[in-house]
Amino acid sequence: MHSGGNASSLPLVGGAPEPTINELSKPGRRASRFPKLDVPVTEINNSAIRNDKPNLPEVSEHDLVMHYSRLAHRNFAVDLGFYPLGSCTMKYNPRFADYVASLNTFANSHPSAPSEFTQGNLEVLHELENFLIEITGMDNATFQPPAGASGELTGLLIIKKYLEENGLSNKKDIIVPDSAHGTNPASARMAGFNVVEVSTDIRGMVNIDDLRTLVNENTAGLMLTNPNTGGLFEENIMEISNIIHENGGLVYYDGANLNAIVGVCRPGDMGFDIVHSNLHKTFATPHGGGGPGSGPVAVKGFLKEYLPGPIVEKNNDQYSWYTPSFSIGRMHGYHGNFLVALRALVYMKLLGKEGLDNLGSYAVLNARYLSSIISKIIPLAYNEPCMHEFVATVKDLKKSHKIKAYDVGKALLDKGFHSPTIYFPLIIEEALMFEPTETQSVDTLDDLAETLKVIIDELQGEDVSLESYPKNLPVGRPNELIPAKHLTVNWGDFELLEITE
Amino acid sequence: MFVPHSEIDLKKMFEELSISSLEELFTHIPETLKLNDGLNVPSTLSELESISHFESVESRNMQNLICFAGGGHYDVYLPHTVKTLTMRPEFMTSYTPYQAEISQGILQILFEYQSLICDLTDMELANASLYDGATSVAEAISVAINKTKRDGVVVSNGFNPNTKEVVNTLVDRSKFNIKYVDLVDYMFPEDYIFSDNDAAFVVSMPHYEGSAQDLTSIVQNAKAAGVITICYVDPSMLGILKTPGSMGFDIVVAEGQSMGSPLSFGGPTVGWFATKKELARLVPGRIIGESRDSNHTKTYVMTLRAREQDIRREKASSNICTNQTLNAVGSTIHLSWLGPQGLYEIGYQAIQKASYMKQQLIEHGFTISNLNNSLREFIVKTSRPSEEVILDMGLKGFLAGIKYSENEILVAVTEKRTKNEIDSYILSLQEVDNA
Repeated sequence: MHSGGNASSLPLVGGAPEPTINELSKPGRRASRFPKLDVPVTEINNSAIRNDKPNLPEVSEHDLVMHYSRLAHRNFAVDLGFYPLGSCTMKYNPRFADYVASLNTFANSHPSAPSEFTQGNLEVLHELENFLIEITGMDNATFQPPAGASGELTGLLIIKKYLEENGLSNKKDIIVPDSAHGTNPASARMAGFNVVEVSTDIRGMVNIDDLRTLVNENTAGLMLTNPNTGGLFEENIMEISNIIHENGGLVYYDGANLNAIVGVCRPGDMGFDIVHSNLHKTFATPHGGGGPGSGPVAVKGFLKEYLPGPIVEKNNDQYSWYTPSFSIGRMHGYHGNFLVALRALVYMKLLGKEGLDNLGSYAVLNARYLSSIISKIIPLAYNEPCMHEFVATVKDLKKSHKIKAYDVGKALLDKGFHSPTIYFPLIIEEALMFEPTETQSVDTLDDLAETLKVIIDELQGEDVSLESYPKNLPVGRPNELIPAKHLTVNWGDFELLEITE
Repeated sequence: MFVPHSEIDLKKMFEELSISSLEELFTHIPETLKLNDGLNVPSTLSELESISHFESVESRNMQNLICFAGGGHYDVYLPHTVKTLTMRPEFMTSYTPYQAEISQGILQILFEYQSLICDLTDMELANASLYDGATSVAEAISVAINKTKRDGVVVSNGFNPNTKEVVNTLVDRSKFNIKYVDLVDYMFPEDYIFSDNDAAFVVSMPHYEGSAQDLTSIVQNAKAAGVITICYVDPSMLGILKTPGSMGFDIVVAEGQSMGSPLSFGGPTVGWFATKKELARLVPGRIIGESRDSNHTKTYVMTLRAREQDIRREKASSNICTNQTLNAVGSTIHLSWLGPQGLYEIGYQAIQKASYMKQQLIEHGFTISNLNNSLREFIVKTSRPSEEVILDMGLKGFLAGIKYSENEILVAVTEKRTKNEIDSYILSLQEVDNA
């Protein structure tokens, strides 16, 4: 073990569960202090004013700091260990980007401030747009979508509006692979489209014959990641995009897997008309426990006027806001997740041509290496060269020893590794999806494979209770039925349940 | 950059894969698609070089503007304790807590976040965050439509115009009829008649214009017609205003920026969403529940997962996946830092200072359009075009507010503003508006 894997996820503060901030509350304690009111007091008469104080916990500042620091010690993170969570691109997040995002007027500009006051912010968005359209092979971009799913919805609404403007409102079908992320069909449905599923062939790629039978005059478009969710490059991508274009549809690139191809090839050259990128994945901004992200949408020139507005324009070294003439409307209250976009720009500037040209190559190298050494322990789902991630399966172990993907994931937690993504894509039985990213060392990759081997051997032993894993963490496997059935979602709910049952 | 491999590492990896160059990884990609000369982007910068680059870009923003703009985003004091705790790397560099056993930190904080919001708004169930205030309004309307199966949406006109634009984008207007109801004297009309085709009633408290009213009887009328009632609140005023729950609302949404996030040019912030348990299965986004593990130890988990896109696909309650968790962490820690007295003080001081500012503006010859019912935010009339006034006030060091109409500016006062700042704002406005 070279990478420190074993130490990383063990809680520094173990023992009893941490009380809630509410349980730490005592009447009269407080952390906050404000300056004395420096204007004369006026009597306020308004029917909306309340007579009592709000219901909040009362804690001292030190108690508050200890509480949230102890909770931090009960959380795994990229800064602590290997996070090979497939499809999520959990790469190293440069600290320097956080420094830039904390600079005064970046962090503290009011979003309604006129563009004359915020030229620096607009320059950030403009420069990032230039990077992004070059990397994806597109022409224009919007930064309003605050996450990938919002980017998908933006793209679909652009398709819808474009078809309407061209008298093609009959086109209502969006084709989505059966291996797609759940957000694809959910977004298509939100945009008012019918979802049509195309199957995957035996090699793990879009089934072209099936695609041909599904495409007709009602086809509005296709949503696709490339590489796909199985980690494979869709080799027939040009044929796929041609089939859709010949039928008057548009082709949408789900940028979830963009990390695999940065500097290698570009969605814009593969026939994609619309691309969303996940800046929090490919461009290394911190995932923040589940967000914030940023899901900018880039389009080919003929779709520019459909983008959500306003977008940034540059004229004579002055930046201004421009609202496209057929804009689908706003996707966010203001300009999207600006500070996330800024961090992504910092990352791109640090990498520059030298780093970006090789980004995809190193991401693929790490995944290909890891897949090679892991394939000696458990079989891979497809016998094809993987890109930035790959899927392995324990379906045989399930038959022989009742060991499920879930059990392998849980046992890995004990050893200091985050679990890979499990049970995705849905079309692969007992799937374990690994995405190492380019920032992990070969030692760490070796350690993961070695650990996986130890675990698989251990789980096959006699008298092993699979349910007992993980064993060394602050809590064991949770009962997932209680909160779903009894809605214990607010403090006091669980105690109430225990009293009544 | 950030790739750790040495020549020795590469040799080992290449040997394992029987390759001799990185290009050999891509023999299966059609040649015509490959970028032969790489990307046309600038050369790499060291961290040291980047500092001066970004500091000079930052310096092109106007510096040190004293903020009198609001409209949903407020210059509330954000304590260092809150900032530094929120930015702990264990929170910042983790992802969605899919693996509960190693994610109890984020899970418990989100559970506290949900509970704090319920307590503050008198609701029963909150989700673990949406993108921002504007998108939260649209998500709430979608819940009401799914619940009632009706096609009318009644929205108060007293909203930030951007919020209305987001609603217009996200609610399909070919299927649903959005009726914007004008405020009368800056208040929602008490006698508004709801129809039994209406799915949702959405109103802001305070209204965008800064005026506030007790909405109890309007909510009663809406509910009598079977309408789902949605209240958009300003979190930094919740310490002093009646709770949406006490007025009978079914759903509460908010732009949560003022609790735990810097202004951030509008993002990332956080959308709050809370409701009653009877609507639980229609709620968008993640929800954290309290449970026990096999040893009966308290354990938090993501729950009601069958609503979400990764399980339910096209039948999901929303497409949201990545949300605004870190900003929700900020809200949790900020609210805990404030406590009841602190949140009260933020609201109270803002209203008192706004009240002083309005009196002074009147004494200096200005007119306030909504003097009577406005609280911390109000509309001041200008003789010159409001846009020009705002630009000229910038040269005096003030973000004067948001353009409300050709000759009106929406001005917001937070607890951070001082008497001196208010007095010099008014002197500057006199100079600028009479120029």
